[in-house]
Amino acid sequence: MKKKKVEKKEIAISVKDLHIRYRSLKKFSIKKSLLKMKTGRIEIFEALRGVSFDVEKGKIIGIVGKNGSGKSTLLRSIAGIFSPDDGGIDLHGNTVSLLSIGVGFQPALTGYENIFLSGMLLGFSEEEVRAKLQDIIDFSELGKFIYSPVKTYSSGMYSKLAFAITAILETDIMLIDEVLSVGDIQFKAKSYAKMKELISDTNRTVVIVSHSISTLRELCDTILWLHEGKIKMIGDVDEVLDKYQEFMTDDALKKEEAKKREEEQVTKAIKEQVKKNA
Amino acid sequence: MKKFMYNLKKYWNYSIYAAKAELKAEVANSYLNWLWWILDPIAFMIVYTVMVQLVFGSKEQFFPVFVFVGLTCWNYFNVSVSGSVKLVSANKAIVTKVYVPKYILLLVKSFKNLFKMMISWVLVIVLMLIFKVPFHLTMLNWFLIIPVLFIVTFGISSILLHFGIFVEDLHNITNIILKLIFYLSGVFYSIGTRLSNPLLKRLLLKCNPIAFIMDQSRNVMIYGKMPSFMWLAIWFVIGCILSWIGISVIHKYENSYAKVI
Repeated sequence: MKKKKVEKKEIAISVKDLHIRYRSLKKFSIKKSLLKMKTGRIEIFEALRGVSFDVEKGKIIGIVGKNGSGKSTLLRSIAGIFSPDDGGIDLHGNTVSLLSIGVGFQPALTGYENIFLSGMLLGFSEEEVRAKLQDIIDFSELGKFIYSPVKTYSSGMYSKLAFAITAILETDIMLIDEVLSVGDIQFKAKSYAKMKELISDTNRTVVIVSHSISTLRELCDTILWLHEGKIKMIGDVDEVLDKYQEFMTDDALKKEEAKKREEEQVTKAIKEQVKKNA
Repeated sequence: MKKFMYNLKKYWNYSIYAAKAELKAEVANSYLNWLWWILDPIAFMIVYTVMVQLVFGSKEQFFPVFVFVGLTCWNYFNVSVSGSVKLVSANKAIVTKVYVPKYILLLVKSFKNLFKMMISWVLVIVLMLIFKVPFHLTMLNWFLIIPVLFIVTFGISSILLHFGIFVEDLHNITNIILKLIFYLSGVFYSIGTRLSNPLLKRLLLKCNPIAFIMDQSRNVMIYGKMPSFMWLAIWFVIGCILSWIGISVIHKYENSYAKVI
Protein backbone atom coordinates (compact mmCIF):
# COMPACT_ATOMS: atom_id res chain seq x y z
CA MET A 1 0.00 0.00 0.00
CA LYS A 2 2.95 2.24 0.54
CA LYS A 3 3.59 3.47 -2.92
CA LYS A 4 0.69 4.01 -5.21
CA LYS A 5 0.69 4.26 -8.93
CA VAL A 6 -1.21 7.11 -10.47
CA GLU A 7 -1.39 6.83 -14.20
CA LYS A 8 -1.97 10.36 -15.29
CA LYS A 9 -0.15 13.02 -13.40
CA GLU A 10 -2.77 15.36 -12.14
CA ILE A 11 -1.61 18.07 -9.79
CA ALA A 12 -3.77 18.65 -6.72
CA ILE A 13 -1.80 21.26 -4.84
CA SER A 14 0.63 23.72 -6.31
CA VAL A 15 2.49 26.05 -4.00
CA LYS A 16 4.50 28.74 -5.72
CA ASP A 17 7.12 30.88 -4.05
CA LEU A 18 5.07 31.14 -0.88
CA HIS A 19 5.98 33.82 1.62
CA ILE A 20 4.16 34.27 4.90
CA ARG A 21 5.12 37.06 7.22
CA TYR A 22 3.85 37.88 10.65
CA ARG A 23 4.26 41.58 10.58
CA SER A 24 2.23 43.76 8.35
CA LEU A 25 -0.85 43.79 10.53
CA LYS A 26 0.28 44.21 14.08
CA LYS A 27 -2.09 44.97 16.86
CA PHE A 28 -1.91 48.37 18.41
CA SER A 29 -3.75 50.02 21.21
CA ILE A 30 -5.05 53.55 21.20
CA LYS A 31 -3.95 54.05 24.79
CA LYS A 32 -0.39 53.02 24.02
CA SER A 33 -0.10 55.13 20.91
CA LEU A 34 -1.46 58.15 22.77
CA LEU A 35 1.06 57.70 25.56
CA LYS A 36 4.06 57.01 23.39
CA MET A 37 3.14 59.19 20.43
CA LYS A 38 5.15 57.01 18.13
CA THR A 39 4.58 53.79 16.37
CA GLY A 40 6.28 50.82 17.88
CA ARG A 41 9.15 49.12 16.15
CA ILE A 42 7.81 46.84 13.51
CA GLU A 43 9.07 43.34 13.91
CA ILE A 44 9.08 41.16 10.86
CA PHE A 45 9.01 37.48 11.26
CA GLU A 46 9.03 35.56 8.06
CA ALA A 47 7.65 32.10 8.77
CA LEU A 48 7.89 30.92 5.19
CA ARG A 49 10.39 32.37 2.76
CA GLY A 50 9.78 31.20 -0.75
CA VAL A 51 8.45 27.67 -0.65
CA SER A 52 7.45 26.05 -3.95
CA PHE A 53 6.33 22.51 -4.61
CA ASP A 54 3.62 20.51 -6.34
CA VAL A 55 1.70 17.56 -5.01
CA GLU A 56 0.15 15.10 -7.43
CA LYS A 57 -3.36 13.95 -6.90
CA GLY A 58 -3.59 10.88 -4.67
CA LYS A 59 -0.11 11.32 -3.22
CA ILE A 60 0.77 11.48 0.42
CA ILE A 61 3.32 14.06 1.37
CA GLY A 62 4.91 14.28 4.79
CA ILE A 63 6.39 17.46 6.19
CA VAL A 64 9.20 17.37 8.74
CA GLY A 65 11.27 20.03 10.38
CA LYS A 66 12.27 21.48 13.73
CA ASN A 67 9.81 23.32 15.92
CA GLY A 68 9.22 26.74 14.44
CA SER A 69 10.35 25.81 10.96
CA GLY A 70 7.01 26.83 9.47
CA LYS A 71 5.26 23.46 9.15
CA SER A 72 1.99 24.47 10.74
CA THR A 73 2.01 27.79 8.96
CA LEU A 74 2.34 25.98 5.65
CA LEU A 75 -0.52 23.65 6.54
CA ARG A 76 -2.75 26.48 7.60
CA SER A 77 -2.08 28.47 4.48
CA ILE A 78 -2.99 25.46 2.33
CA ALA A 79 -6.19 25.20 4.35
CA GLY A 80 -6.95 28.82 3.47
CA ILE A 81 -6.72 30.16 7.00
CA PHE A 82 -3.74 32.37 6.21
CA SER A 83 -3.37 34.34 3.05
CA PRO A 84 0.02 34.38 1.34
CA ASP A 85 1.98 37.64 1.52
CA ASP A 86 3.75 36.70 -1.67
CA GLY A 87 3.38 33.88 -4.10
CA GLY A 88 0.34 31.67 -4.26
CA ILE A 89 -1.38 28.40 -3.59
CA ASP A 90 -3.60 26.71 -6.16
CA LEU A 91 -5.74 23.80 -5.07
CA HIS A 92 -7.19 23.24 -8.55
CA GLY A 93 -10.73 23.30 -7.25
CA ASN A 94 -10.30 20.55 -4.69
CA THR A 95 -12.04 20.72 -1.32
CA VAL A 96 -9.73 20.87 1.63
CA SER A 97 -9.97 20.31 5.35
CA LEU A 98 -7.51 20.64 8.16
CA LEU A 99 -7.99 17.61 10.35
CA SER A 100 -8.30 19.38 13.63
CA ILE A 101 -9.88 18.43 16.86
CA GLY A 102 -13.28 19.72 17.86
CA VAL A 103 -13.85 22.74 15.66
CA GLY A 104 -16.79 24.86 16.66
CA PHE A 105 -18.07 22.66 19.47
CA GLN A 106 -20.64 24.08 21.84
CA PRO A 107 -19.84 22.35 25.14
CA ALA A 108 -23.34 22.78 26.52
CA LEU A 109 -24.96 20.90 23.63
CA THR A 110 -25.12 17.18 22.97
CA GLY A 111 -22.60 15.33 20.87
CA TYR A 112 -25.33 14.70 18.32
CA GLU A 113 -25.93 18.42 17.79
CA ASN A 114 -22.24 19.13 17.74
CA ILE A 115 -21.74 16.72 14.85
CA PHE A 116 -24.00 18.93 12.76
CA LEU A 117 -22.46 22.13 14.02
CA SER A 118 -18.92 21.02 13.32
CA GLY A 119 -19.75 19.35 10.03
CA MET A 120 -21.58 22.36 8.67
CA LEU A 121 -18.77 24.63 9.74
CA LEU A 122 -16.41 22.46 7.71
CA GLY A 123 -18.53 23.29 4.68
CA PHE A 124 -20.82 20.28 4.43
CA SER A 125 -24.56 20.61 4.00
CA GLU A 126 -26.99 19.38 6.60
CA GLU A 127 -28.03 16.48 4.34
CA GLU A 128 -24.44 15.40 3.77
CA VAL A 129 -23.83 15.33 7.50
CA ARG A 130 -27.07 13.47 8.10
CA ALA A 131 -26.07 10.83 5.55
CA LYS A 132 -22.82 10.17 7.41
CA LEU A 133 -24.32 10.60 10.86
CA GLN A 134 -24.61 6.92 11.75
CA ASP A 135 -21.05 6.22 10.62
CA ILE A 136 -19.75 9.01 12.79
CA ILE A 137 -21.64 7.85 15.86
CA ASP A 138 -20.55 4.25 15.30
CA PHE A 139 -16.95 5.19 14.78
CA SER A 140 -16.81 7.43 17.83
CA GLU A 141 -17.92 4.48 20.04
CA LEU A 142 -19.90 6.88 22.20
CA GLY A 143 -23.16 4.91 22.15
CA LYS A 144 -25.89 6.58 24.14
CA PHE A 145 -23.50 9.26 25.39
CA ILE A 146 -23.94 10.94 22.02
CA TYR A 147 -27.12 12.43 23.50
CA SER A 148 -25.35 13.92 26.53
CA PRO A 149 -23.78 17.38 26.56
CA VAL A 150 -20.21 17.44 25.33
CA LYS A 151 -19.01 19.17 28.50
CA THR A 152 -19.79 16.02 30.46
CA TYR A 153 -17.45 13.96 28.25
CA SER A 154 -14.06 12.76 29.37
CA SER A 155 -11.20 14.16 27.32
CA GLY A 156 -10.86 10.81 25.56
CA MET A 157 -14.52 10.77 24.55
CA TYR A 158 -14.24 14.33 23.36
CA SER A 159 -11.33 13.64 21.06
CA LYS A 160 -12.90 10.41 19.81
CA LEU A 161 -15.96 12.32 18.67
CA ALA A 162 -13.87 15.07 17.13
CA PHE A 163 -11.70 12.59 15.30
CA ALA A 164 -14.73 10.67 14.04
CA ILE A 165 -16.28 13.83 12.59
CA THR A 166 -13.23 14.88 10.62
CA ALA A 167 -12.31 11.36 9.57
CA ILE A 168 -15.74 10.35 8.28
CA LEU A 169 -16.56 13.61 6.54
CA GLU A 170 -14.07 13.31 3.73
CA THR A 171 -12.59 15.98 1.51
CA ASP A 172 -10.36 15.74 -1.57
CA ILE A 173 -7.35 17.10 0.26
CA MET A 174 -6.73 16.25 3.89
CA LEU A 175 -4.28 18.14 6.01
CA ILE A 176 -3.18 16.33 9.14
CA ASP A 177 -1.29 18.00 11.97
CA GLU A 178 -0.10 15.41 14.51
CA VAL A 179 -3.44 13.87 15.31
CA LEU A 180 -2.60 10.23 15.09
CA SER A 181 -2.74 9.75 18.83
CA VAL A 182 -6.27 9.94 20.14
CA GLY A 183 -8.02 7.94 22.84
CA ASP A 184 -6.98 4.64 24.41
CA ILE A 185 -4.74 2.02 22.79
CA GLN A 186 -7.63 0.27 21.13
CA PHE A 187 -9.10 3.43 19.65
CA LYS A 188 -5.64 4.56 18.64
CA ALA A 189 -5.15 1.41 16.61
CA LYS A 190 -8.57 1.84 15.07
CA SER A 191 -8.05 5.48 14.20
CA TYR A 192 -4.63 4.69 12.79
CA ALA A 193 -6.18 2.02 10.59
CA LYS A 194 -8.93 4.42 9.53
CA MET A 195 -6.36 7.05 8.79
CA LYS A 196 -4.45 4.61 6.62
CA GLU A 197 -7.61 3.65 4.81
CA LEU A 198 -8.50 7.30 4.26
CA ILE A 199 -5.17 8.40 2.97
CA SER A 200 -4.60 5.38 0.78
CA ASP A 201 -7.66 6.23 -1.28
CA THR A 202 -6.15 7.02 -4.67
CA ASN A 203 -8.35 10.06 -5.14
CA ARG A 204 -7.32 11.68 -1.91
CA THR A 205 -4.31 13.91 -1.55
CA VAL A 206 -2.89 14.07 1.95
CA VAL A 207 -0.42 16.36 3.66
CA ILE A 208 0.86 15.14 7.02
CA VAL A 209 2.91 17.05 9.53
CA SER A 210 4.48 14.77 12.09
CA HIS A 211 7.48 14.33 14.32
CA SER A 212 7.07 10.57 14.26
CA ILE A 213 9.62 9.33 11.75
CA SER A 214 8.24 5.80 11.76
CA THR A 215 4.72 6.97 10.94
CA LEU A 216 5.99 9.03 8.06
CA ARG A 217 8.11 6.17 6.74
CA GLU A 218 5.08 3.95 6.68
CA LEU A 219 2.54 6.32 5.20
CA CYS A 220 4.17 8.80 2.87
CA ASP A 221 5.18 8.88 -0.78
CA THR A 222 7.26 12.02 -0.57
CA ILE A 223 8.86 13.96 2.26
CA LEU A 224 9.29 17.69 2.41
CA TRP A 225 11.87 18.95 4.88
CA LEU A 226 11.37 22.52 6.01
CA HIS A 227 14.19 24.35 7.70
CA GLU A 228 13.72 27.92 8.90
CA GLY A 229 11.01 28.65 6.40
CA LYS A 230 12.73 27.17 3.39
CA ILE A 231 12.72 23.80 1.73
CA LYS A 232 15.91 22.02 2.72
CA MET A 233 15.11 18.83 0.88
CA ILE A 234 12.22 17.27 -0.96
CA GLY A 235 12.03 13.81 -2.43
CA ASP A 236 12.24 10.11 -1.67
CA VAL A 237 11.04 9.12 1.80
CA ASP A 238 14.02 7.14 3.06
CA GLU A 239 16.62 9.44 1.61
CA VAL A 240 15.18 12.62 3.13
CA LEU A 241 14.29 11.06 6.46
CA ASP A 242 17.76 9.56 6.90
CA LYS A 243 19.35 12.94 6.26
CA TYR A 244 16.85 14.59 8.55
CA GLN A 245 17.52 12.19 11.42
CA GLU A 246 21.22 12.61 10.97
CA PHE A 247 20.81 16.38 11.02
CA MET A 248 18.63 16.35 14.10
CA THR A 249 20.96 14.11 16.12
CA ASP A 250 23.89 16.26 15.03
CA ASP A 251 22.02 19.31 16.11
CA ALA A 252 21.20 17.77 19.46
CA LEU A 253 24.84 16.78 19.96
CA LYS A 254 26.03 20.25 19.08
CA LYS A 255 23.63 21.79 21.51
CA GLU A 256 24.73 19.43 24.23
CA GLU A 257 28.36 20.24 23.58
CA ALA A 258 27.67 23.94 23.70
CA LYS A 259 25.85 23.47 26.96
CA LYS A 260 28.73 21.47 28.44
CA ARG A 261 31.23 24.07 27.36
CA GLU A 262 29.19 26.77 28.98
CA GLU A 263 28.94 24.81 32.19
CA GLU A 264 32.66 24.24 32.21
CA GLN A 265 33.29 27.92 31.78
CA VAL A 266 30.99 28.74 34.65
CA THR A 267 32.64 26.25 36.98
CA LYS A 268 36.03 27.59 35.95
CA ALA A 269 34.97 31.11 36.74
CA ILE A 270 33.62 30.05 40.09
CA LYS A 271 36.83 28.21 40.94
CA GLU A 272 38.89 31.26 40.06
CA GLN A 273 36.69 33.42 42.17
CA VAL A 274 37.09 31.05 45.08
CA LYS A 275 40.84 31.05 44.60
CA LYS A 276 40.97 34.84 44.59
CA ASN A 277 38.91 35.05 47.71
CA ALA A 278 41.20 32.58 49.43
CA MET B 1 -20.45 40.84 -4.10
CA LYS B 2 -20.60 37.61 -6.07
CA LYS B 3 -18.33 35.96 -3.54
CA PHE B 4 -20.53 37.26 -0.75
CA MET B 5 -23.64 35.77 -2.33
CA TYR B 6 -21.88 32.46 -2.84
CA ASN B 7 -20.69 32.34 0.76
CA LEU B 8 -24.05 33.44 2.04
CA LYS B 9 -25.69 30.54 0.24
CA LYS B 10 -23.07 28.08 1.35
CA TYR B 11 -23.09 29.06 5.01
CA TRP B 12 -26.73 30.10 5.35
CA ASN B 13 -27.80 26.85 6.95
CA TYR B 14 -24.79 26.84 9.20
CA SER B 15 -25.58 30.37 10.41
CA ILE B 16 -29.10 29.42 11.35
CA TYR B 17 -28.02 26.16 12.93
CA ALA B 18 -25.24 27.84 14.88
CA ALA B 19 -27.54 30.63 16.06
CA LYS B 20 -30.02 28.02 17.26
CA ALA B 21 -27.22 26.13 18.94
CA GLU B 22 -26.07 29.24 20.78
CA LEU B 23 -29.59 29.94 21.98
CA LYS B 24 -29.97 26.34 23.06
CA ALA B 25 -26.64 26.45 24.83
CA GLU B 26 -27.78 29.50 26.75
CA VAL B 27 -30.88 27.66 27.86
CA ALA B 28 -28.98 24.47 28.61
CA ASN B 29 -26.56 26.27 30.91
CA SER B 30 -29.36 27.17 33.24
CA TYR B 31 -32.96 26.33 32.72
CA LEU B 32 -34.09 29.72 33.90
CA ASN B 33 -31.93 31.54 31.42
CA TRP B 34 -34.61 31.96 28.80
CA LEU B 35 -36.68 33.66 31.47
CA TRP B 36 -34.04 36.38 31.49
CA TRP B 37 -34.70 37.05 27.82
CA ILE B 38 -38.09 38.28 29.07
CA LEU B 39 -37.24 39.54 32.54
CA ASP B 40 -34.27 41.61 31.48
CA PRO B 41 -36.05 44.12 29.21
CA ILE B 42 -39.06 44.26 31.52
CA ALA B 43 -36.90 44.99 34.54
CA PHE B 44 -35.10 47.79 32.73
CA MET B 45 -38.39 49.18 31.52
CA ILE B 46 -39.59 49.38 35.12
CA VAL B 47 -36.35 51.04 36.21
CA TYR B 48 -36.54 53.73 33.55
CA THR B 49 -40.26 54.25 33.96
CA VAL B 50 -40.01 54.73 37.70
CA MET B 51 -36.97 56.92 37.44
CA VAL B 52 -38.32 59.18 34.72
CA GLN B 53 -41.78 59.46 36.27
CA LEU B 54 -40.30 60.36 39.66
CA VAL B 55 -37.48 62.65 38.65
CA PHE B 56 -38.53 64.34 35.46
CA GLY B 57 -42.25 63.75 35.30
CA SER B 58 -43.26 62.75 31.81
CA LYS B 59 -46.33 63.55 29.79
CA GLU B 60 -45.85 60.75 27.28
CA GLN B 61 -48.91 58.68 26.57
CA PHE B 62 -48.51 54.98 27.45
CA PHE B 63 -45.12 55.68 28.91
CA PRO B 64 -44.13 52.07 29.87
CA VAL B 65 -44.86 50.85 26.33
CA PHE B 66 -43.02 53.87 24.98
CA VAL B 67 -39.92 52.92 26.96
CA PHE B 68 -40.24 49.25 26.12
CA VAL B 69 -40.32 49.83 22.35
CA GLY B 70 -37.22 51.99 22.72
CA LEU B 71 -35.42 49.39 24.80
CA THR B 72 -36.27 46.64 22.33
CA CYS B 73 -34.64 48.50 19.45
CA TRP B 74 -31.76 49.68 21.58
CA ASN B 75 -30.90 46.27 23.03
CA TYR B 76 -30.63 44.72 19.60
CA PHE B 77 -28.37 47.48 18.34
CA ASN B 78 -26.28 47.66 21.49
CA VAL B 79 -25.63 43.93 21.90
CA SER B 80 -24.83 43.45 18.23
CA VAL B 81 -22.47 46.40 17.93
CA SER B 82 -20.59 45.93 21.19
CA GLY B 83 -20.31 42.18 20.54
CA SER B 84 -18.90 42.63 17.06
CA VAL B 85 -15.71 44.33 18.26
CA LYS B 86 -14.36 41.21 19.94
CA LEU B 87 -16.23 38.72 17.80
CA VAL B 88 -13.31 37.20 15.95
CA SER B 89 -11.09 36.80 19.00
CA ALA B 90 -14.04 35.30 20.85
CA ASN B 91 -14.23 32.69 18.11
CA LYS B 92 -10.51 32.05 18.10
CA ALA B 93 -10.99 28.30 18.28
CA ILE B 94 -12.86 28.33 14.99
CA VAL B 95 -10.93 31.03 13.19
CA THR B 96 -7.51 29.45 13.67
CA LYS B 97 -8.61 26.01 12.55
CA VAL B 98 -10.95 26.35 9.62
CA TYR B 99 -11.70 28.90 6.97
CA VAL B 100 -15.03 30.55 7.47
CA PRO B 101 -15.99 33.95 6.05
CA LYS B 102 -15.80 36.19 9.09
CA TYR B 103 -19.08 37.97 8.41
CA ILE B 104 -20.76 34.60 8.81
CA LEU B 105 -19.81 34.79 12.48
CA LEU B 106 -21.52 38.15 12.51
CA LEU B 107 -24.57 36.68 10.83
CA VAL B 108 -24.81 33.96 13.49
CA LYS B 109 -24.80 36.62 16.19
CA SER B 110 -27.33 38.72 14.27
CA PHE B 111 -29.75 35.82 13.98
CA LYS B 112 -29.39 35.08 17.65
CA ASN B 113 -30.04 38.69 18.60
CA LEU B 114 -32.90 38.96 16.12
CA PHE B 115 -34.59 36.01 17.78
CA LYS B 116 -34.25 37.62 21.18
CA MET B 117 -35.58 40.87 19.78
CA MET B 118 -38.62 39.07 18.39
CA ILE B 119 -39.43 37.79 21.87
CA SER B 120 -39.18 41.36 23.02
CA TRP B 121 -41.59 42.51 20.28
CA VAL B 122 -44.09 39.88 21.36
CA LEU B 123 -43.83 41.39 24.83
CA VAL B 124 -44.54 44.80 23.31
CA ILE B 125 -47.86 43.46 22.03
CA VAL B 126 -48.60 41.96 25.44
CA LEU B 127 -47.83 45.27 27.14
CA MET B 128 -50.00 47.10 24.63
CA LEU B 129 -52.88 44.87 25.59
CA ILE B 130 -52.24 45.41 29.29
CA PHE B 131 -52.04 49.19 28.98
CA LYS B 132 -54.98 49.25 26.57
CA VAL B 133 -53.08 50.89 23.73
CA PRO B 134 -55.35 50.97 20.67
CA PHE B 135 -54.13 48.90 17.72
CA HIS B 136 -53.66 50.67 14.41
CA LEU B 137 -53.20 49.52 10.85
CA THR B 138 -49.94 51.50 10.77
CA MET B 139 -48.44 48.67 12.80
CA LEU B 140 -47.91 46.85 9.50
CA ASN B 141 -45.10 49.29 8.75
CA TRP B 142 -43.14 47.49 11.43
CA PHE B 143 -42.19 45.02 8.69
CA LEU B 144 -40.41 47.86 6.88
CA ILE B 145 -38.65 49.25 9.93
CA ILE B 146 -37.04 46.03 11.17
CA PRO B 147 -35.07 45.34 7.94
CA VAL B 148 -33.67 48.87 8.15
CA LEU B 149 -32.60 48.27 11.75
CA PHE B 150 -31.03 44.97 10.74
CA ILE B 151 -29.05 46.29 7.80
CA VAL B 152 -27.79 49.41 9.58
CA THR B 153 -26.69 47.34 12.57
CA PHE B 154 -25.04 44.77 10.33
CA GLY B 155 -23.16 47.46 8.42
CA ILE B 156 -21.80 49.18 11.52
CA SER B 157 -20.94 45.83 13.14
CA SER B 158 -19.08 44.50 10.12
CA ILE B 159 -16.83 47.56 10.00
CA LEU B 160 -16.19 47.39 13.75
CA LEU B 161 -15.45 43.67 13.45
CA HIS B 162 -12.56 44.47 11.16
CA PHE B 163 -11.06 47.25 13.25
CA GLY B 164 -11.66 45.41 16.51
CA ILE B 165 -9.04 42.90 15.50
CA PHE B 166 -6.21 45.36 15.04
CA VAL B 167 -7.07 47.93 17.68
CA GLU B 168 -6.82 46.27 21.06
CA ASP B 169 -8.83 48.69 23.14
CA LEU B 170 -11.45 49.56 20.58
CA HIS B 171 -14.14 48.00 22.74
CA ASN B 172 -13.53 50.54 25.51
CA ILE B 173 -14.13 53.32 23.04
CA THR B 174 -17.16 51.71 21.44
CA ASN B 175 -18.71 51.26 24.87
CA ILE B 176 -18.29 54.94 25.64
CA ILE B 177 -19.74 55.97 22.29
CA LEU B 178 -22.61 53.52 22.67
CA LYS B 179 -23.41 55.01 26.06
CA LEU B 180 -23.49 58.46 24.47
CA ILE B 181 -25.76 57.26 21.67
CA PHE B 182 -27.99 55.64 24.27
CA TYR B 183 -28.63 58.96 25.98
CA LEU B 184 -28.98 60.79 22.68
CA SER B 185 -31.47 58.28 21.32
CA GLY B 186 -34.31 59.03 23.65
CA VAL B 187 -34.85 55.55 25.01
CA PHE B 188 -36.65 56.97 28.03
CA TYR B 189 -37.63 60.41 26.82
CA SER B 190 -39.13 61.77 23.66
CA ILE B 191 -36.67 63.79 21.60
CA GLY B 192 -39.62 65.33 19.78
CA THR B 193 -41.22 66.92 22.83
CA ARG B 194 -38.32 67.31 25.24
CA LEU B 195 -35.88 69.23 23.10
CA SER B 196 -36.72 72.80 22.24
CA ASN B 197 -33.98 73.52 19.71
CA PRO B 198 -35.55 72.52 16.36
CA LEU B 199 -32.22 72.08 14.61
CA LEU B 200 -30.84 69.77 17.31
CA LYS B 201 -34.11 67.88 17.37
CA ARG B 202 -33.99 67.30 13.66
CA LEU B 203 -30.35 66.36 13.76
CA LEU B 204 -30.83 63.79 16.51
CA LEU B 205 -33.97 62.28 15.05
CA LYS B 206 -32.79 61.95 11.49
CA CYS B 207 -29.03 61.53 11.68
CA ASN B 208 -28.92 59.09 14.56
CA PRO B 209 -30.22 55.88 13.01
CA ILE B 210 -31.25 54.34 16.31
CA ALA B 211 -33.16 57.39 17.49
CA PHE B 212 -34.81 57.52 14.10
CA ILE B 213 -35.81 53.85 14.13
CA MET B 214 -37.06 54.09 17.72
CA ASP B 215 -39.11 57.14 16.89
CA GLN B 216 -40.61 55.52 13.81
CA SER B 217 -41.39 52.28 15.67
CA ARG B 218 -43.22 54.20 18.38
CA ASN B 219 -45.15 56.18 15.82
CA VAL B 220 -46.40 53.12 13.99
CA MET B 221 -46.93 50.90 17.02
CA ILE B 222 -48.35 53.23 19.65
CA TYR B 223 -49.50 56.45 18.07
CA GLY B 224 -50.94 55.20 14.77
CA LYS B 225 -48.82 57.52 12.61
CA MET B 226 -47.31 56.67 9.25
CA PRO B 227 -43.49 56.41 9.13
CA SER B 228 -41.28 58.66 7.06
CA PHE B 229 -40.75 56.45 4.01
CA MET B 230 -38.14 58.72 2.52
CA TRP B 231 -35.91 58.57 5.59
CA LEU B 232 -36.44 54.84 5.95
CA ALA B 233 -35.25 54.45 2.36
CA ILE B 234 -32.28 56.73 2.99
CA TRP B 235 -31.20 54.75 6.03
CA PHE B 236 -31.73 51.49 4.21
CA VAL B 237 -29.40 52.65 1.46
CA ILE B 238 -26.84 53.90 3.99
CA GLY B 239 -27.06 50.55 5.77
CA CYS B 240 -26.44 48.73 2.49
CA ILE B 241 -23.44 50.92 1.72
CA LEU B 242 -21.99 50.37 5.20
CA SER B 243 -22.49 46.61 4.87
CA TRP B 244 -20.90 46.66 1.46
CA ILE B 245 -17.87 48.53 2.80
CA GLY B 246 -17.63 46.15 5.77
CA ILE B 247 -17.89 43.05 3.63
CA SER B 248 -15.31 44.26 1.11
CA VAL B 249 -12.86 45.14 3.86
CA ILE B 250 -13.41 41.77 5.52
CA HIS B 251 -12.92 39.97 2.21
CA LYS B 252 -9.68 41.78 1.67
CA TYR B 253 -8.15 41.22 5.09
CA GLU B 254 -9.88 38.26 6.68
CA ASN B 255 -7.06 35.82 6.05
CA SER B 256 -4.71 37.96 8.08
CA TYR B 257 -6.98 37.89 11.12
CA ALA B 258 -5.76 34.47 12.23
CA LYS B 259 -2.20 35.80 12.34
CA VAL B 260 -3.04 38.66 14.65
CA ILE B 261 -5.35 37.18 17.27
